[in-house]
Amino acid sequence: MEVNKILNKLIEIVGSEFVSNNPADLYIYSQDPGASEPRPVDFVILPKKVEEVQKIVRLANQEKIPIIPMGGGLTLSGLVIPNRRGIVMDMKRMNKIIEISPLNRYALIEAGVTSGQLLAHLNNNHPDLQPPIPDAPPSITIAGNALIHGSGYLSQKYGDHGSMINGLEVVLPDGEIYKFGSCALSDYWFTRGPIPDFIGLFISSFGTMGIVTKLSIKLFPKPNMRDIVFGLCKDPSVLPELISNITYADVAEDILLGIQDKPDWMKGYTFIIVYITGETEEELINKTKILKKMYRKAKSRYMKVPKRIEEVFLEKPQFAAKAADFRKGGGFEYVGAFIPLQLIPKMIQIGTDISLKHGIIPTLGARLIGQGHSAMFFISYSFNRADPKDMKNARDALHETNKAALEIGGIPWKAEIAGQQLIMEKMDPNYKKLLKGIKNLIDPNGIMNPGNWEVK
Amino acid sequence: MGGEIIISANLEKDWKDIVHRCFRCGYCKFTHDYSDFNCPSYKKYRFETYSTGGRLWLIYGLISGELDWNKDVANVLYACSTCGNCSENCRFDKFNDLLVDIIEAAREEAVKNGYCPENQKALVERIKNTEMYNPYGEKNSNNEALKEEYDLPDEAEWVYYIGCTSNYRQKELRDATLRFLKKANINFTLIDEHCCCSPIIRTGQTECVKDFINYNMMKIRETGASKVITSCAGCYRTMKSDWIKHDDSTDIEIFHTVELINDLLNEGKLNFKTEFNQKITYHDPCHLGRHMKMYEIPRDILNRIPGVELIEMERNRGNAWCCGAGGGVKIGYPEWSVEIAKERLEEAKKTDTALISSACPFCRTNLNDANQEFEMGFEILDIIEIIDNLDYEITNSN
Ligand SMILES: Cc1cc2nc3c(=O)[nH]c(=O)nc-3n(C[C@H](O)[C@H](O)[C@H](O)COP(=O)(O)OP(=O)(O)OC[C@H]3O[C@@H](n4cnc5c(N)ncnc54)[C@H](O)[C@@H]3O)c2cc1C
Ligand code: SF4
Ligand code: SF4
Repeated sequence: MEVNKILNKLIEIVGSEFVSNNPADLYIYSQDPGASEPRPVDFVILPKKVEEVQKIVRLANQEKIPIIPMGGGLTLSGLVIPNRRGIVMDMKRMNKIIEISPLNRYALIEAGVTSGQLLAHLNNNHPDLQPPIPDAPPSITIAGNALIHGSGYLSQKYGDHGSMINGLEVVLPDGEIYKFGSCALSDYWFTRGPIPDFIGLFISSFGTMGIVTKLSIKLFPKPNMRDIVFGLCKDPSVLPELISNITYADVAEDILLGIQDKPDWMKGYTFIIVYITGETEEELINKTKILKKMYRKAKSRYMKVPKRIEEVFLEKPQFAAKAADFRKGGGFEYVGAFIPLQLIPKMIQIGTDISLKHGIIPTLGARLIGQGHSAMFFISYSFNRADPKDMKNARDALHETNKAALEIGGIPWKAEIAGQQLIMEKMDPNYKKLLKGIKNLIDPNGIMNPGNWEVK
Repeated sequence: MGGEIIISANLEKDWKDIVHRCFRCGYCKFTHDYSDFNCPSYKKYRFETYSTGGRLWLIYGLISGELDWNKDVANVLYACSTCGNCSENCRFDKFNDLLVDIIEAAREEAVKNGYCPENQKALVERIKNTEMYNPYGEKNSNNEALKEEYDLPDEAEWVYYIGCTSNYRQKELRDATLRFLKKANINFTLIDEHCCCSPIIRTGQTECVKDFINYNMMKIRETGASKVITSCAGCYRTMKSDWIKHDDSTDIEIFHTVELINDLLNEGKLNFKTEFNQKITYHDPCHLGRHMKMYEIPRDILNRIPGVELIEMERNRGNAWCCGAGGGVKIGYPEWSVEIAKERLEEAKKTDTALISSACPFCRTNLNDANQEFEMGFEILDIIEIIDNLDYEITNSN
């Protein structure tokens, strides 16, 4: 590759301020906060307009240089670290909130809008609406999250965030702009259908299909009141039915499970964290009563927690980065696996066993998705970022967990490249054939985040 | 999380052991409510490299040997106004309060390795120059003429430490302070002060700092004073939290002028006789606000000046947008520095006020520079200058 020639062309597109191949600038883009090893980057570029994205993609295609789209870069599983060098396209300068449609309940935004930005915009301008955001830090992008089947406090009730995409504007590897969803034929970005739905192609494909430049995401009414009813359960085997009952009763906004061996008093219990919402105090009291009764029936018990702790859980987004076990050395990565409810007890066992085997304090949990239709079960491995052996230990634990989740019938979420290969080993051959065919059709030169979802 | 505290405040010993713990989560980029980026460096450059997390990871890269020192790496470290927004918003307690210190410590390493940028080097060269002792390259004023003009004794209870910016660039502010102290009947004097070292500490050029602190402390002690007052947020921060690292004696108390004014008002000793009929917005200097957590005193004063209507900018107190002068940015990146100040002026415009007040001569300088360069039409006055415009009476201040 003629580095200077490419650099000059990229400068022509975005200006010299917003492209770099300087090692000082590239360093941070060669790694992410997860346990993956660093991998080299050739350029990082920060486009502002869709036309710039088109020109960059055309150039990359011509020169056969990989492009890796990046939002907040906080997926943790190395998905934004180039696998075969190339151009990291940091999308965060494309950060316009183009339209909030309160009546049709969607936000039309550029791909670099962060969850913090959208949350604050709604809080300040449309306080009766709320966005689907994860508990990841506010610097993540709405696009990056929705495009990986992310989930958050609204997912129990309304589904994963991928399903909340109404429409996409995408620059495909041919450099052309494509529109998907109602925006392909209407001024309103209000729905995905009723036309053949291609949007799924861009979800969990980890930037291998194209670069999303705009998206419409669903917004939801914000209830007047929100509270939490904590439960404590000693016997994980009761959990699937208990959770299923809670969703039947339709009393929960969000349902989280938490299992951790530290501090000592938490060991051996599953914490059930059910968020309830309502218009009146009375409604909350009634929902609390229903939940307390359900806990009792499931040999679990209601747990009163201090206000201080409750406030931590009520924050939006929650400060989940504390899982980084700062004292140990600042790093963590988790396997999140999508599983059917019935596999929750098995996953608790698997997570605990693998953590202990690797000398890591078990820290696991789950978030319910789509009223009991599935759960995102996470097993989190903390590590000392300054200790390569400890990082390798975490990588091994993650790999083992991916394998175990697949074996029992779950599907690793936002899996690292090695995890993607495990998934594809188990995948129906015709699915793989089709995936390969579609990828080749859309991206014949294989420039889009290569290494990911590569059918061998 | 939680539990034992494992980071001691002894930064010299520990900063290299903890820098890798930054998660790179990015809370530090934002305002409190996440509505905007509030790290001037990230907002300008937009590469992750220039966020606090990026900077800390880069520093770790240097420590671990993955990166070598060079001009570009040093530039990333220096393109930061040490505004402290990161400390304010980073969620990791016992780590967040060290962020600016870590950046400054890494700048010390840059200096040791020969990568201090040229513009910033001038600061130390001028300060060490025995004709100057100040970062502005002005001939040193031993303040004897001022002592004479204001009839100040050799020995006194208080020392008014003027600070280089007020003494060489913002003399109106200095003179307003002198007049106020006189009128308040404060038993004070001046010393032949040398730079407090704020600019060179902030830029990692610390080799001569100890000598300067020793000299200034010696001069202060010679007057028999037990209290030092300054109207500069930078000097105040430096004397109160950096000097103690070198001279841990507690015989000298440090005050910002606004603290004295506030005390006089609280005790009913300061009475304003005329009104200042203006809408005012207040700019929190980073060195007084986020660094020293002094947010309310300046506001309490402004609110008690008859006729003043204080209107807050959207970003205020711990959330304030930096003026862009600090951390060596004014000298190192002059254009960017006024761009930062311009953003503050634009924010001030939304308050529909024509007067911006602050409590720092360096903020005043930079806000004024942007005001002139971009023809924003503001009047920019320090609190002490506003008071100087009024008739007031001070009774029994001793
Ligand atoms: C502390 C912590 C807590 C978390 N909690 C949650 C949680 O509660 N729920 C949850 O869902 N996740 C969570 N996550 C995981 C992750 O951070 C989020 O899902 C996050 O939203 C990912 O967004 P991002 O902008 O960082 O994406 P990135 O990591 O930047 O990108 C994700 C993927 O999308 C691709 N991509 C990004 N932008 C584009 C684009 N414009 N076009 C095409 N492809 C693109 C990238 O190439 C990559 O493959 C958490 C992470 C952390 C660190
Ligand atoms: S400095 Fe703090 S808030 Fe900023 S990225 Fe590091 S850990 Fe996160
Ligand atoms: S001190 Fe200010 S400019 Fe420097 S990294 Fe922190 S927030 Fe950014």
